[in-house]
Amino acid sequence: MSFAQPSLMPSFTRPPSRVAIVRTADYGQDLGAQLYEALQEFALPVKGMKVLLKPNFVEPDPEGIINTHPAVVGAARECFLRLGAQSVRVAEGPGHERDSEAIVETIRLRDFLGPLHDLFVDLNLDEVHPVNLRTRASRLRQLYFPRTVLEADYIVSLPKLKTHHWVGVTLALKNMFGIVPGCCYGWPKNVLHWAGIIPSILDINSTVRADFAIVDGIVGMEGNGPIQGTARSSGVLILGDDPVAVDATGARVMGLRPERIDYLAKAGALLGHVQAEKIRQLGASVESVRTRFAVLPAFQRLVDAK
Amino acid sequence: MSETPNPESRVPHPELRLPAPVPAILLHSQNSDGGWGYHPASPSAVEATAWALMALGASRPAPAPAEACTRACAWLLAAQRADGSWPPFPGYPQGCWVTSIASQALHLEGGAPAAVERGLHWLLNAWPAEGTLWWRLRQTLFPSPVTAQDSSLRGWNWTPGTASWVEPTAHALLFLRALPAEMLSSRGNERRSLAERMLFNRMCPGGGWNSGNPRIYGVAGVPRIGPTAWALLALRDHDARPEIQSSLDWLEGACAAVHGAASRALAHRCLMAFGRRVSPLAPLLGELYSHNHFFDNVLTMAWVVLALQEENRSDAGRLKTDD
Repeated sequence: MSFAQPSLMPSFTRPPSRVAIVRTADYGQDLGAQLYEALQEFALPVKGMKVLLKPNFVEPDPEGIINTHPAVVGAARECFLRLGAQSVRVAEGPGHERDSEAIVETIRLRDFLGPLHDLFVDLNLDEVHPVNLRTRASRLRQLYFPRTVLEADYIVSLPKLKTHHWVGVTLALKNMFGIVPGCCYGWPKNVLHWAGIIPSILDINSTVRADFAIVDGIVGMEGNGPIQGTARSSGVLILGDDPVAVDATGARVMGLRPERIDYLAKAGALLGHVQAEKIRQLGASVESVRTRFAVLPAFQRLVDAK
Repeated sequence: MSETPNPESRVPHPELRLPAPVPAILLHSQNSDGGWGYHPASPSAVEATAWALMALGASRPAPAPAEACTRACAWLLAAQRADGSWPPFPGYPQGCWVTSIASQALHLEGGAPAAVERGLHWLLNAWPAEGTLWWRLRQTLFPSPVTAQDSSLRGWNWTPGTASWVEPTAHALLFLRALPAEMLSSRGNERRSLAERMLFNRMCPGGGWNSGNPRIYGVAGVPRIGPTAWALLALRDHDARPEIQSSLDWLEGACAAVHGAASRALAHRCLMAFGRRVSPLAPLLGELYSHNHFFDNVLTMAWVVLALQEENRSDAGRLKTDD
């Protein structure tokens, strides 16, 4: 229950997290089969559940660099249906672009999922309800969240492996900014910036925690992300049942030190594991897939020199 | 939220086919409380109601019955806060950018001058958070390496306590532009001028607008259809300026490749308002509608109606000229 039972427990009491790295050359592979095999390791309790996939759809980009690739979204949907989910919907509230239809049509989501009319939810325009935030990292105290999110039984964050010009990287935790509805907060959701991006990431994820995360690192973005960077292929999907551990692993794959990424270091206290020794690595090793991502000068301190 | 949806509006009407009867789709989506949600059968929202009202108002005499507009006006009036602003939904704790849109809708519909005046008063006193003395001092001492823009030029924000952005500024300007000159005090004119300068300052190099960051880390921002169309419509009185012409050029080129009905309708309406020739909208919209039914998005439908109305006006004008 993504909203009803958030896991807020100190790291030292939390059992080790599991993160799998799946090598895959490109989006033309049988991603559904590869992902399904990896998901078997997790024995996910999704049977009969309403699953919500939250990709990172930012703006119309036919090049496939900015947004979670639709092939990954399609594969994830296929897998969760195979695992017995009652329904699997795709929902996003883009931060800048109001025309969600323009995004999903430009990236050809329909080609991978079929008709979208009853499948895709624009979280920016969904019915909303006020929710008291479970932590006080920011001064926000309360946010309105979309009904679709609050009623989901199981939320899967599906970000792209990208650098980010404000906070270093954007992965599963930062991706949850997209559940904050534009109809209340605008495009961009500037209230989150004024409350502090890092504390807002923490407050949102402490209140609506993704149950699972799958990072599209087949082609990511380096440099001036999350929109104006350049494509960087890592050829991986990174997945796990702890979004903090998935993000920490994603950062390591990018050649960055997650404990130096401010919001990840803080998330490591209550929301999940950052330390490598607390993460049980499945599939390929980080070292075998490491692809050093270029970062802006302001984030050189994040680079792992090893 | 607590408003009452119309359960019947959940079921698409079998006779509602694009392009002609879009206003009928809108009518069919009106909630029993008089407002519109962002989607049929969802709780009434100020922005959706205001745009639906403007679209139906523009499409009269047929097929919008006056009764539907009257109920929409009544819903908007009931949703106005004591301070003159509108929240996104009734019960939401603060007013925001939708104040511009609700005020404009009521002004165009007529019959609620006091509410419009109170909306105007709130807007003229609603300042974004940047540009204060403290803000400017901080910017001078610690300039942002990420963005570069003149923060002394202030427009309007999405929500109180945040910064100016292109779209809410454009909506406020469109409302001010719709008012008769005598309604605007000198302060209103000053704010209008300041906001117009802000929009020009936030234009992307080469033309067009994005949400409000023309440069990120020295790299030119990428314009987008929606903010560009709104900014251009708001700056329509400056059509001789080269920035406007280059932005129209960008919009003309960009809109051919866009796959969203909302963006396409906005671009179409904007280009026609500036007298640019465009290909007919209806066939394209029919195709887009067949894909996703516009995701039942009431805003999209309202903007489509307004674009089709602009097209009709433009065609009528052309016929008259040709005669």
